[in-house]
Amino acid sequence: MDVELTEIVEALCQHAPFSELIDDPQLNDMVKEVEVQYLRAGEWAIQPGVLNHTLFFIRSGAVEALGKEQKLIRRMNEGELFGYASLLRGGKSSQSMRVIEDSLLYRIPARWFLKLYEENDSFSDFFELDQEVRLKVAMESQNSGLSLMTCPIVSLLRRNPITIAIDGNIRLAAKMMADNKVSSLLIMENDALVGILTDRDLRNRVVAAGLDYDTPVGKVMTVDPVTMDSGDYAAEAVLKMMEKNIHHIPILKGNKPIGVVSTGDIIQAESHGSIYLISDIYKQTSIEGLQAISHKMTHTFTQLVLADANTQMIGNAMSHIGTAFVKRLLQLGEEKFGKPPVPYCFVALGSQAREEQTIKTDQDNALILSNQYDPQIHGEYFRSLSDWVCKNLDMCGYPLCTGDVMASNTMWRQPLQQWKKYFSEWIKEPKAEALLRLSIFFDLKGVHGDKYLAKDLNRHIRKEAKANPGFLTFMARNANQRKPPLGFFRQFVLDGEGKQSRTFNLKERGIAPIIDIVRVHALACGSDKLNTLERLEDIDNAGLLPDGRAKDLALALEMIGMVRIRSQKDQIEKEEAPTNHVNPAHLSSFEKRHLRDAFHIVERQQEFIKFRYAGKRN
Amino acid sequence: MLKRLMTALKGTQKQPLQDWQAMFAKWAKEAPEGPLKRYYEAGTIALDSPLKDTPLLALDLETTGLDPLKDEIISLGCVPMDHRIIRCNGAGYWMAKPERTLNAESVTIHEITHTELAEAPPLHRILNEILSVLSGKVVVVHCVSIEREFLREAALNVYGFPLYFPVLDTMHIEHLAQDKTPWWKRIIARKPSLRLDACRQRYHLPRYKAHHALTDALSSAELLQAQISYHLDPNAPISNYWL
Repeated sequence: MDVELTEIVEALCQHAPFSELIDDPQLNDMVKEVEVQYLRAGEWAIQPGVLNHTLFFIRSGAVEALGKEQKLIRRMNEGELFGYASLLRGGKSSQSMRVIEDSLLYRIPARWFLKLYEENDSFSDFFELDQEVRLKVAMESQNSGLSLMTCPIVSLLRRNPITIAIDGNIRLAAKMMADNKVSSLLIMENDALVGILTDRDLRNRVVAAGLDYDTPVGKVMTVDPVTMDSGDYAAEAVLKMMEKNIHHIPILKGNKPIGVVSTGDIIQAESHGSIYLISDIYKQTSIEGLQAISHKMTHTFTQLVLADANTQMIGNAMSHIGTAFVKRLLQLGEEKFGKPPVPYCFVALGSQAREEQTIKTDQDNALILSNQYDPQIHGEYFRSLSDWVCKNLDMCGYPLCTGDVMASNTMWRQPLQQWKKYFSEWIKEPKAEALLRLSIFFDLKGVHGDKYLAKDLNRHIRKEAKANPGFLTFMARNANQRKPPLGFFRQFVLDGEGKQSRTFNLKERGIAPIIDIVRVHALACGSDKLNTLERLEDIDNAGLLPDGRAKDLALALEMIGMVRIRSQKDQIEKEEAPTNHVNPAHLSSFEKRHLRDAFHIVERQQEFIKFRYAGKRN
Repeated sequence: MLKRLMTALKGTQKQPLQDWQAMFAKWAKEAPEGPLKRYYEAGTIALDSPLKDTPLLALDLETTGLDPLKDEIISLGCVPMDHRIIRCNGAGYWMAKPERTLNAESVTIHEITHTELAEAPPLHRILNEILSVLSGKVVVVHCVSIEREFLREAALNVYGFPLYFPVLDTMHIEHLAQDKTPWWKRIIARKPSLRLDACRQRYHLPRYKAHHALTDALSSAELLQAQISYHLDPNAPISNYWL
């Protein structure tokens, strides 16, 4: 008798890991031993403290995993599996499973699970014990290509650094460079890097100046050169070189130099659009010129995506481009309206400040004026300058902020003391609704002018925030406003409107919540970082999160960000305007699974900050 | 459809306590020697046994038409179960070559081709095996009349004696369950559909492709589990529910 339970086989094969077994004759044998069970909402699939010998497959419905004291760990929907962790531990389960929506469950005997787990690599890979691990493996397998954007800077180092002591003379230095065929030397004093000497320095500072070749290198070197850490990305070196107009960057591991990266190394490795774009921006002398460049931005963006750059690198590049536009416009503005009468600092807010900008973001900016500012005398100058810059940013593809958070708004163009007053008020007497709107002000970075003003303000913010735990409670509550799009009943909750009704918003429901969560922790530990990943590092070091959780958040951010960036790239290629919306039907099962894992992490971390910064109920 | 429904409803009225065990004993004496006699001799569960201890078998037939006297069984599917668990281990599926030719219309409904059926054994060759699977079980079907009448006719043809079995009818159960809705709601609302698929949706069960005997058997098995968890008492005697 040939019995084939097609209905069950087909249902299983629609989902990983069984989709991998579609051609395996064992699958049919396994299905013959499946048991089917209907459970109503509220019933237990695995009761607390009871041994489990079954792998469960949710054919329809939804189940929640509960940990100690019935704390919710995660929710699972159609097509998901549970119970496997206990099978790998001989039946002991640390989590209990309760049905939250009437469910039809397929019960697969432990014996089959263990057999497939032993025999089939892709099957066992799937069950890597928790989803954080699953996510990590997935991200790593995606980042296999070594491009400039993704490769660590150490991979560009060709040799050990050539060094000379600070009291060595120029003649010796030149000879060492010639012998070793290098264009730079590192200058050391007591085993520490104190300077750098380059080809160009020999030409400009020695030969052209007619210096004696016995002069010690210490006299002509560049003191305290810009350095980078061995863990940094190659692309960051490129951006630094462009920004500072330098050609050599010593790379440190700990405090020890391990090599030098030169522009030559970089060009040899790869050449990239974003770098040329930035240097082009600084060369422009007219608005028309800048506008023309802004049209190339989408191209640069798609190039970066195609080059397998991760979201961190893309965010970094797009923010540097954005900053370059702001800086260049302010330089041109100062030419047009004259030198500023009092010092000021133009600050970027939100994603640009965090260096997490993507394609097509609204401008969010403000102006901090020196306390010498007198509105009667100086008001007109800064109003004109700000209006002009904001208007032209709009022309260059950075639309005006719909919330009017721009330097052109008088409210956000104030002297430092007024800014400090603003923040003290927000922090000491937080109002939930206002704070929701204001959260981008807590990501604030000076991009042009007297950056000390921005630093001073940031210091003030950190001090006040740390001293007012009640404020963190409000921020934590705000960070819980936007929930990941995981419903009880469906896999993804769609929230788009009109043409986008089959979509959900990755930014609102994934990226922003993570940024919000991290900001709260960052304020709690007094971190002076703005970038979400850098903040996470500080948070991790401060021990605010249980082990491994900071990394989970970073991975979740990368996963969600990656899906957004790819979807935006696809939109651009279809000549549509890039949005933050994505239609789950257009995602691969790989993306869907890991996106869901990422959202689970966000949900859990939202829960965590709720009680971590619970405060007093009013 | 209406006819099916009427028969189902008739079943509900003659629902006095049926002692299937006693009837099986009587038929065991009357039936001619052979597999059917042995089937009756094996007996069935006592009328006061609780539902939760009842061995069940979900069953579905596909036929060439609706008239048990003219039409024939072309496939059977079954899955053993109890009130909590359906066991795929033990599921059965048979195809039977009809004596008369298959009409084109029913072919399209069942997706069973002429070739497949031409290669299948005739029903009388597999009926013994089916009897042994049915033995001792209360049979779960959606709409009792089809399975009961077609198998009765088949046994009459093969053994010269009818085949009977106790039944839990998911359509009947659903009918009673829907009857529990308040009268005013029943007036306003459209008459609830008792089709298998419609019933399943009421319990949030997934949608299946209908008209494969084994899938339909599984389908009514799952429906019964859902109905038990919503409407029936597992500790109540089976005689409260069987037909």
